[in-house]
Amino acid sequence: MEPFIKEPFRIAVIGNPNSGKTSLFNLLTGLQQKVGNFPGVTVERKTGHLIFPGGKSIELTDLPGTYSVYPTSEDERLVVQTLTDTQNTDYPDAVLYVADVTRLEKHLLLFTQVKDMGFPVILALNMSDTAHAEGLEINFERLSRKLGVPAVAVSGRTGEGIEQLKQILTDLSRQAPEGPSEHSVYRLSQEEARLATELQDLFPYLTAYQRILLAHHAGWLPHLSLPVRTKVLEAVERTGFRDLALQVRETMQRFDYFTPIVQQNLRKTRERPFTLTERLDNLLTHRIAGPAIFFLLMLLVFQAIFTLASYPMDWIESGISALSAWTKSVLPPGWLAGLIGDGLLAGLGGVLVFIPQIAILFFLISLLEEVGYMARAAFMFDRVMQAFGLNGRSIVALISGGACAIPAIMSARTISNWKERLITILVTPFISCSARIPVYTVLIAFVVPEKTVLGFFTLQGLAFMGLYLLGIAAALLSALVFKWILRSGGTSYLMLELPPYRPPLMRNVWITVWEKVRSFTMEAGKVILVISMVLWVLASYGPPGAMKNAQARAEQIAREKGLTPQESGALAASLEMEASFAGKAGKWIEPVIRPLGFDWKIGIALIASFAAREVFVGAMATIYSISDQEDLLLIRQRMAMEHDPLTGKKVYDPPTTWALLIFYVFAMQCMSTLAVVRRETLSWKWPLIQFLFMTGLAYLSAWAVAAFLPPPPPPPPSSPPPPHLATP
Amino acid sequence: MAAVQNSGKPLVKVGVGDTGFVSDFTNDRIAGKLMAMGILPGCAIKVVRRAPFGGGCYIKADNILLALRKDEACTILVR
Repeated sequence: MEPFIKEPFRIAVIGNPNSGKTSLFNLLTGLQQKVGNFPGVTVERKTGHLIFPGGKSIELTDLPGTYSVYPTSEDERLVVQTLTDTQNTDYPDAVLYVADVTRLEKHLLLFTQVKDMGFPVILALNMSDTAHAEGLEINFERLSRKLGVPAVAVSGRTGEGIEQLKQILTDLSRQAPEGPSEHSVYRLSQEEARLATELQDLFPYLTAYQRILLAHHAGWLPHLSLPVRTKVLEAVERTGFRDLALQVRETMQRFDYFTPIVQQNLRKTRERPFTLTERLDNLLTHRIAGPAIFFLLMLLVFQAIFTLASYPMDWIESGISALSAWTKSVLPPGWLAGLIGDGLLAGLGGVLVFIPQIAILFFLISLLEEVGYMARAAFMFDRVMQAFGLNGRSIVALISGGACAIPAIMSARTISNWKERLITILVTPFISCSARIPVYTVLIAFVVPEKTVLGFFTLQGLAFMGLYLLGIAAALLSALVFKWILRSGGTSYLMLELPPYRPPLMRNVWITVWEKVRSFTMEAGKVILVISMVLWVLASYGPPGAMKNAQARAEQIAREKGLTPQESGALAASLEMEASFAGKAGKWIEPVIRPLGFDWKIGIALIASFAAREVFVGAMATIYSISDQEDLLLIRQRMAMEHDPLTGKKVYDPPTTWALLIFYVFAMQCMSTLAVVRRETLSWKWPLIQFLFMTGLAYLSAWAVAAFLPPPPPPPPSSPPPPHLATP
Repeated sequence: MAAVQNSGKPLVKVGVGDTGFVSDFTNDRIAGKLMAMGILPGCAIKVVRRAPFGGGCYIKADNILLALRKDEACTILVR
């Protein structure tokens, strides 16, 4: 143990999956959480603080749930990695072990392992409210004495026992560190004992059991340097250490130790666990009804996003638009008014407009997760997913991909097989994420009438659903292609616990929604804002002389044709835009995108969208608010009225709009996702492959749509705008 | 832990609604994970239902519910 007292005092929160660990963590730390990543990997790292009078603070870290210190997936590995590396910033001073008291006879294996590693452990016996309802009688005091640790009954649901737990944690942090305990429940076998002694000089600060774990996992533990790893593996060789057989021996011995302790101190007064869960599963995991209900649920989720979010989105759009007009009326005309009104505020609108949809989507997804439904979906679709080279757990990633590909790709870490995990990572960005929603919303309104069918579904909602299905189909079909191409990699598991259905703990749901909305606003928002402002500058300034020329040309044309002042103003703005840096870039890319029916203005938005596709609407807003004199018009109305200056044809006619929609369904336009894919796969090869095949597919299908969709009938001289655009 | 002749039949052969008692495992790696989840030799396993699309099975062991693939269920021998 290091000679100094660490500040802050670090506590790792550890437990089995479904032990209610995260609920308890949320209850202890509230909204005072920091979400980041564990160093070097993208497993979400949640930390929170408990601060006490006197200023000493306790830092709690929520480690991924695992059944034992013999991990089968990346996120489980992190637990072993953190607990065997004294140099790790998360190496805890103590462990808060969370066990579901209603399944205590299954939940103590990892507890005894963590205790044998020498950490001071506090046992939180969670779900005390359920235990009471199920008629469990527990002798907490004797249990605590027998297991040799402080134990406290808590409920992450009702908050029972939390104050007592906080008190125990505080007391612990105030005690002088004693150094790791060498007392071990597990009696090492002869070869293990020999090995532990051989490794003592190499790891003087670790307990014998920690050294044994290093030997088990020497092949992959990242904190072992090559020479150290070699020495450990040599020692393993010398002592004749057989890892799998010893793991089984150890597991049996530990169960033999704690099973009698649990039985003596826990009495079931009646026998009726799970009846409700099992009855619900008769329907929800039924061979036919189960999948049908799943698809119905997904349909409801998308209808909810499309219909519920449209109101706050309208308010945000018109609010920003009014604010922009007000700013420009207050500020003296010039570059500042332009930068703020057209650059900054248009970009801000592009950020804020997403929030309702992101919030609704994450709300519904975390609700399904919280009640325990997601594990059922993984169970039902495992076979189908396997046919596509994926894993039942991939369905969780694919569904979360509907919110954002980044957390979805991270969630693939629970998949133990490398090939299945890689394919999940590669195809998840095909699932339409919330950043595509505004693009879909704006464009669908141009081509699909606002009509209700079957009394319930809106036609636009169905078109929206269709685009999602297209993304899902692309994900599955490309998974199939990767399944054929890639070499297989290791063993694949399902072995998934189906937690009992529980009413959702709304605190957990709200914390997730808050966390996701906040990180979107801060992280993606920054990118969008900067790009919008850069775009404004690029669209307002051009090579020296070019802007002047454009102005002069506009004046000349206006004089020749006798245009009204308003018409000549619009002409000048349009010509200047064309002469600007952004216009040059748009013109430069125009030959490539012309076959898709896109003009150079769409080209500008496309270029900007490759940083992040959510920029599209903001970019369009910036471009059109500069080239248009009418400040009060909403972006959708501006785009709907856009005509090609040469042919007089509407720019957003059905073939172009559909081509643009299809392009956005397939194209890889998110730098953050590519960065995460690089981090997850540890090479640039995969993000590069992903970028090329997705964008290639996007281009080809957009081209096919533009080429084969019948052109619209010649527009009647005064085609009425879609009904909802006609109001102002 | 190696497969022993006559130590039982694989769990996949157990009919829906029937119960068997774990006698052995034929794959150490899967056994390690199953045991960590609390499926130990002697434990009673009830096959509750088969998965849609001809996949694995939904089992109940003591007081936990578990989803297993077909080939995972093959490695559990029961009596």
